[in-house]
This record gives sequence, C-alpha cells and structure tokens, in this order.
Amino acid sequence: MKIKKFLTLTRAGIIESLQFRLGTVVIIIGNILYLIVVYFLWKAIYSSAGTDIVNGMTFSDTLIYLVLATALFNFMEMYIVWEIGRNIQSGKIVLDLIKPMKYRQYMFWSYSGSFITNFFFTLLPTFIVVAIVTHGAIYFGINLLLFIISVIIAVSINYSIDFIVGTICLYTESIWGINIMKQVIVMLLSGVTVPIAFFPEPLKSIVYHLPFQSIYNAPLSVLLDGNPQLNTVLTTIGTQLFWCVTMIALSKLFWKVSIRKITVNGG
Amino acid sequence: MKRKGLSFYFRIYCKILAQDLKSKMSYRADFIISTIGMIFTNIAGFVSFWILFRSFPSINGWSYYEILFLYGFSLVSLTPVQCLFDNNWNLRQYVYSGDFIKYCFRPINLFFYYQSEVFDIKGLGQLAFGIGTLAYSWNKLELGFTPLMLIKMVIFLITASFIMIALQNAAAATCFWIQNSFYVMDLVLKFKDYAKYPITIFSPIFRFIFTFIIPIAFIAYYPSVVILRPDAVPVLSWLSPIISCILFGLSYKFWMYSAMKYNGTGS
Repeated sequence: MKIKKFLTLTRAGIIESLQFRLGTVVIIIGNILYLIVVYFLWKAIYSSAGTDIVNGMTFSDTLIYLVLATALFNFMEMYIVWEIGRNIQSGKIVLDLIKPMKYRQYMFWSYSGSFITNFFFTLLPTFIVVAIVTHGAIYFGINLLLFIISVIIAVSINYSIDFIVGTICLYTESIWGINIMKQVIVMLLSGVTVPIAFFPEPLKSIVYHLPFQSIYNAPLSVLLDGNPQLNTVLTTIGTQLFWCVTMIALSKLFWKVSIRKITVNGG
Repeated sequence: MKRKGLSFYFRIYCKILAQDLKSKMSYRADFIISTIGMIFTNIAGFVSFWILFRSFPSINGWSYYEILFLYGFSLVSLTPVQCLFDNNWNLRQYVYSGDFIKYCFRPINLFFYYQSEVFDIKGLGQLAFGIGTLAYSWNKLELGFTPLMLIKMVIFLITASFIMIALQNAAAATCFWIQNSFYVMDLVLKFKDYAKYPITIFSPIFRFIFTFIIPIAFIAYYPSVVILRPDAVPVLSWLSPIISCILFGLSYKFWMYSAMKYNGTGS
C-alpha cells in the first residue's frame, strides 16, 4: 500500500524526464567533449611524468576512474537545492507540505524516476563502453555487487546533503550562492574532478574524514579493486554507512527545526 | 527612426545600472552569499589546478607558471561575459513566460536594453582573482614589462572576452527555437573550463575541432601565446581579434534574428 504511492511518483518522474529528449542529447554531447578533454589532459600529464604509475594509479586506472566518476555524477545529480529553493520562492512548497507524505520522501520519490532513466541512458552505457574498451580492467565478481550496494548508500548520502543545503534556503532565500558553494565543495572533495589519490598528504587525510568522499570515491574504489580484502571493503562501506545514518538524521532534524520558521509570500 | 549615438546609450546604461544595483542591495543576504559562492568557486578551481599540476614540472612542454598564466588569462577574459551579459541566463524564462515582449516595446536597441538590465557584481571578485594570478605568473616567468606588452595584453584580453560573449549569446538565443536552452547554456559554460589548457595537448583532429568548429582555443590559448611565447606566435593568434569581432557580430545578428521570430506566448 505504502510502496504503491512511491512507485506512482517514480513512474511520473520517468515520464517527465523522457519529455526532455533534446536536453539529454545536449548532455551527452557535453559529456563526450568533457571526456575528450580529460583524456588528452591526463595523457599529457602521464607522458610528462616519465613514469607509468603516478600516485599509485596508471593512466588507464585514472581514466576509468574519471569516466565512471562523471557518469556517477550525472546519475546522482538531482538539482534538489534548485527545486526546493524555487518552491520556496514561488510558494509552491505550501502545496507540497500538505500532501499526505513527508516532504523529504516526496522530493526523493519524485526524483527516483530520473534515477531509472539516467541509469539506462548514461550509467549503464558508459559502464559497458568502459568495460569493453579497457579489455577487462574492470573485474566482474563480488566487487560488482559491492559497487551496487555502495552506490545505493552514496545516493542516500548525496540526497541528505542536498536536502540539508536546500533547507538552508529557507533561511537565506538565496539559491544560486548556496547551490554553487555546495556544488563546488562536493565536486572538489569527493574526487570527481581529481582522484583523491592525487591529493597531497595533509589534505588527503582530511578529505578521507569528510562525508563527501563516500559519494563518489568510495563506490569507485570498491569497483576498481580487483582483489577485495575483507578489511578494506568493510572499512569503506562501514564509513559510508556511518555517514549515511548521520546525514539522514541531521537532515531530518534540521528540517524539523526549520520548517517552523517558513515564511511564504503569495503562492 | 533616428539612430541614437554612443553617448546616448552610455547615459542610458548608467541609469539602468543604478536601478539594478539598488534592487540588488535590497536582497543583501543573497548578494553576500552569492559573492562568497563566487569566491569559493574560484578557490576550488585553483585548488584542483594546483593539485593536478603541483607534482609535475611541465606538461607537454608547458611549465607550471605558463599554465597558471593561461588559467589567470581565462579568468580575466571571462569577467565581461559574467558581469555584463549575465541576463542571457534569464532569457529562457522570459521567453517561456511571455514577459520578453516588454523588451520589444522600447525605442532603443533590443539587444542592448535586454543585456543592460543586469550587471553581475560577483564577476568582479573573479576579475581580482584572475589579475592576481596573472601578475604572479607574469612575475615568476620573468617576462619583463613594457607599455607595448600591456597594450597587447589588453587587446588580446578583449579579444578573448568577445569570443566567450559570442558563444554565450548564440547559446542563449537557442531558447527562441527550442523549449529549454538551459542545457545548451550549461554546455557553453563548461567550455570555459576546457579553455585553460594549452591546445597543443590535443591530437591534430581535436586541435582542428577546438579551433574552427568549437572555438574554445581562442578564449585563452591563442591570445595569450602572444605574451607568453612572443618568438613563435601562430598566425591564428594575430587573426584572433578580427575573428572575435566577426563571431561577436554573427552572434548579435543571430540573437536579434531569433528575437524577431519571437511572437509571444500566452498572457
């Protein structure tokens, strides 16, 4: 009974995201361009380095990491902060708040449809292309299962962070500034733009103690580890779970406190 | 209709600018947060740049400070598009809601009036950051300093700005033709990140594409080579001021032509 109303939202989300086919084409062109730039940039870096392995990663390791990080990023990007901010400004949030569902759940499940379309249109094709092009640089074994678990936790952490930042919009009524700050911090500290292995030492240990690396770095390191040791896997996924629980609790608490302060003009 | 002179447009611009600043000041929190967000973006861009290149003395024959120079150059040359042409980002909303029609009824140039309505102060922080980076790398490279170099620098910075403005105008004008031009704008916005790498890292095919089809090499590489490597300046660098003017003119024509096609939506 309960699951049915969630799935209805998922279905509506799928239909909605299929409406913007042209947008998808432009996004794919943009990604291909990005990958071309990344390929040549890292090729130049590796050929200038003089060694095959830089910071414990070969050229193809780095490339697979960055390609999949981009695919994961596009898969998980939800524009939640924009959505919440715009709903606050326009007053539409009032209508969402009186729906017979918690706002946090409503937002998540309305977006779940685009997870499914994104999975089939970007993540899966990218994954297959990478797997074929690199001839078995990705191992097919238990790590795939761990990767899926890790991604699910990552989606949850990412959503909670987005939701916390969206809640801040209730106080500031500024969307652009808040959103750009979040985006910049998450992209840098999660290892999407530069693999965390390349970070210099003090920065690296700081980043490993922050929640952001659990979003992109953790699933990718689980996937690319061909010979997973029980210890490392448990630490990675354990850290993820810890942040997942913490972030969900924080975002719920923050929302509960903040929702009393809401002021809406018009609507 | 009598053509109006430059001084007329200048006076109008100052008047509209004053109104825009006043309205921005009434949302002080948003203004401060957006400015901090912009500073964050620049710092994060610089940090990822530093992480990437710190461990390598040179990339493809380009020293660390030369790449830093390109980076600073691109930041400065992107300031005009950020400050003066930011209203392009709102164009799709005006067109979608039908409010664009209000711009068509003024007895001044449509393009001028539309763009003059918003001045984005956030861009000035980026300008300061860019100038600092440029001066630092200029000093480290021991390029020397003559009035002629300064003149060259200014001319080629303007050149680079024109290219980016032209790309953005064209991208924004697509909203008259397709429903949602956000993706196109976002794609063009990403070009500026690719512009800061020397074009020589790409293979010949992509060098051709990034020069003649998607002219991102003109945003930083071709103009800055004039200062960086005065002994071996490619012909395209000397041609770039002319190319930039042509591109800007074309983008203006395309923008105006598309706007003339516009026949309003709803109320």
